[in-house]
Amino acid sequence: MTAPVVPFREIVLKVHSRCDLACDHCYIYEAPDQSWRTRPKAISDEAISWTARRLAEHAEKHVLPSVSVILHGGEPLLAGPARLRRVCEELTAALDGVAELDLRIHTNGLQLSSRYLDLFDEFGVKVGISLDGDRSANDRHRRFADGRTSHPLVLKAVELLQSERYRHLFLGLLCTIDVANDPVAVHDALIALDPPRIDYLLPHATWDAPPARPAGSPTEYAEWILAVFDRWEEQGRPVPVRLFESVLSTLNGGPSLTESLGLAPTDLVVVETDGSLEQVDSLKSAYDGAAATGFDVFRHSFDEVAAHPGVRVRQLGLAGVGPECRECPVVRSCGGGLYTHRYRSANEAAGRAPFDGPSVYCEDLEALVRGIETRTATRLVPGALADPGELVAAENELTRTLLARLHADLAGRGGVEWAEAWRLTALVDGPGLDEVLTHPYARSWLLTTLEALRTGRSDAVAHAHRLAAYTAAAAVRGRLDVPVTVGYADGRLVLPTLGELRVGAEGESGRAEVVAAEKGFRVRGERFELEVECPREPCGDWLPVRGLGRDGAPDPALDDLDPYRDCFGTAVLPRLGLAEADEWSGRLGAAWGLLSATVPGHAAAAAAALTTLTPLAGAGETVAGRHGYGALGVPVGLTGDALALGLLRGFRRARFRALRDVADLYALDGGWLHRADWHEEPVPVSVLLAETHERVAVAAYDRSARTLAETRRALEALQGAAELTVGGKSLVADVLSEWEEAARG
Amino acid sequence: MKTSVNSLSFAPAKKSRVPLAEIDVRGADAARKLGRVLPSSTGRPVQASTFNSAL
Repeated sequence: MTAPVVPFREIVLKVHSRCDLACDHCYIYEAPDQSWRTRPKAISDEAISWTARRLAEHAEKHVLPSVSVILHGGEPLLAGPARLRRVCEELTAALDGVAELDLRIHTNGLQLSSRYLDLFDEFGVKVGISLDGDRSANDRHRRFADGRTSHPLVLKAVELLQSERYRHLFLGLLCTIDVANDPVAVHDALIALDPPRIDYLLPHATWDAPPARPAGSPTEYAEWILAVFDRWEEQGRPVPVRLFESVLSTLNGGPSLTESLGLAPTDLVVVETDGSLEQVDSLKSAYDGAAATGFDVFRHSFDEVAAHPGVRVRQLGLAGVGPECRECPVVRSCGGGLYTHRYRSANEAAGRAPFDGPSVYCEDLEALVRGIETRTATRLVPGALADPGELVAAENELTRTLLARLHADLAGRGGVEWAEAWRLTALVDGPGLDEVLTHPYARSWLLTTLEALRTGRSDAVAHAHRLAAYTAAAAVRGRLDVPVTVGYADGRLVLPTLGELRVGAEGESGRAEVVAAEKGFRVRGERFELEVECPREPCGDWLPVRGLGRDGAPDPALDDLDPYRDCFGTAVLPRLGLAEADEWSGRLGAAWGLLSATVPGHAAAAAAALTTLTPLAGAGETVAGRHGYGALGVPVGLTGDALALGLLRGFRRARFRALRDVADLYALDGGWLHRADWHEEPVPVSVLLAETHERVAVAAYDRSARTLAETRRALEALQGAAELTVGGKSLVADVLSEWEEAARG
Repeated sequence: MKTSVNSLSFAPAKKSRVPLAEIDVRGADAARKLGRVLPSSTGRPVQASTFNSAL
């Protein structure tokens, strides 16, 4: 294991090792590990100080922006206000100026009073409470040693936390599942308390001590949780439920939100009351000593624990789950379940590590993930996948977010020039600005500029100052009386989407004011004043962006002027002469004709999407580059069938890139490799999906039996790919429909 | 050969628009959106506890 150490961001600090309840499902006291018996009841001053010191040095070393410390037990409130104050003071002081400190406490609530909550308010300690549902559900396990109910006391604690004075400290309710309880009654009881968040926990179990299944169903827990999910949906998802949000997140390609699900590397460590550093404490459910590392805060750094093999194995993602799990299509969401629940002592006799296998809840987890996916898939699919208009809108929104991010990243480095351009951009923020920012090369400008800023290039601010040209173009397009001062270089002033005006000699640079006029615009510099009356027509020193359509063919812009069009990884041509442009327009028209006759659906989609063609040298492949949706680099040497096919291929490449830019189609790309008949070596899902998306359109055009057969096999591989999100699966389903249409001929 | 630009060809059908100055570029939504096109580390959201036995 040579991967770098994953720093700890979450510390579970055991401030008291005893509890005032005697829950019979507790993993601390009722589990095989009985180490609590030999630990000090409360954490010592020395252990507090060393924990704070170790955490601060860890945060500083790994430049962590924030760390969470969860005060835990036993029952942490039994440590008393004075001890808890000391914990808060030491941690706050040690982390001051190093990292943001997120303090939390998880309690059974029995001792909770204003005395504690005032202390928590002082240090910003947020409070979570354990509650298993309505009274009968909670009483099933959460009782005092003498059998008395704890329910009324917990409700009292929740009521106090819900008071106006403390509400901001309330984290939510944690409920351990017992399938003997009515799921809807449990959920309704929790919802009735109006918590800010809920989570449902599977009771700890292993293959050696399997969970109770009173109905005998292998998916009893999934059925229980899905009943809650349905109720939660019916209620309009009134509060976040961490378990559900985690599954929904991973189905969409996002991270898991709890260590009990997903493949995210573990980044938490436990400090016991005696200063021992342990792995996640649920391991105590497996066997005696399972959580121990042999390290402590007095003699060891957190980095040393992070390098412990028991910790590292839970940081390996896909490589850290068993072979059965690696082959499972839902592994991205379940991650093999909680590590503890995989324990099977008999593995060792079979030559396997005791945690190297599926969870004892495996069938439940699969049923749960599939159940949530089935219930929500149609709603989770991003609109951009189904509606071309939504795709364009999402692309525009992305470009606008990039522009806002540029403003934030500049953080004043753009000086007065940027500040003024930004102010004016806000004034022209309307349809005119949409037209300019939707132009594909606006994205190229933004990506170039952000990259230059990120890497500290000296020309970063100069790139940023191009904003004024976009603002001026937006004002002209919107016919807004907003004068904008725009820089020009080499004697040329370029207004994106409109064209280029010669304002001086080659090599001359300066600034000029651009203002919209009745029909066109005026440009005034120190030694010149020019007017372009009709921006759509060439005149004098004005070179407009031209249109390529003729004889009813699609009419994308011929953009051979934009300074940021050189984004295809292959040389772009300088401005085409009139005859050259005219000839190219004719060839493109003929190619569109071929496409329309052969694949009318694809042709119409391409014609609607491709707004901008930029001429490239030679007769190679059409290229979709690093730009917004709608552009294509097209080699001017292509003609006839090759040009038609090039437009089709290029459109599909551009569409796939655009979809990938605004939607998560897959996650964990490269985690698995797939066969594609047209590659000698297996490829990651990103390549297989992009190329299949392109090749199915090609098959529709050239009717090649071989391409049809190859893409059919690729689609079958994609249908079983664990990497695909609900969006990715939806795209595969759409491509399969296209394939079927192509196969029908 | 036409010489006029297709003047509206770049404009999307616009839905409600958040003003530029009000776009949140540091939140989780923006991080996810920008993370698809920028080589930034999105990582784990700050202050999201994953410990199973607490919130």
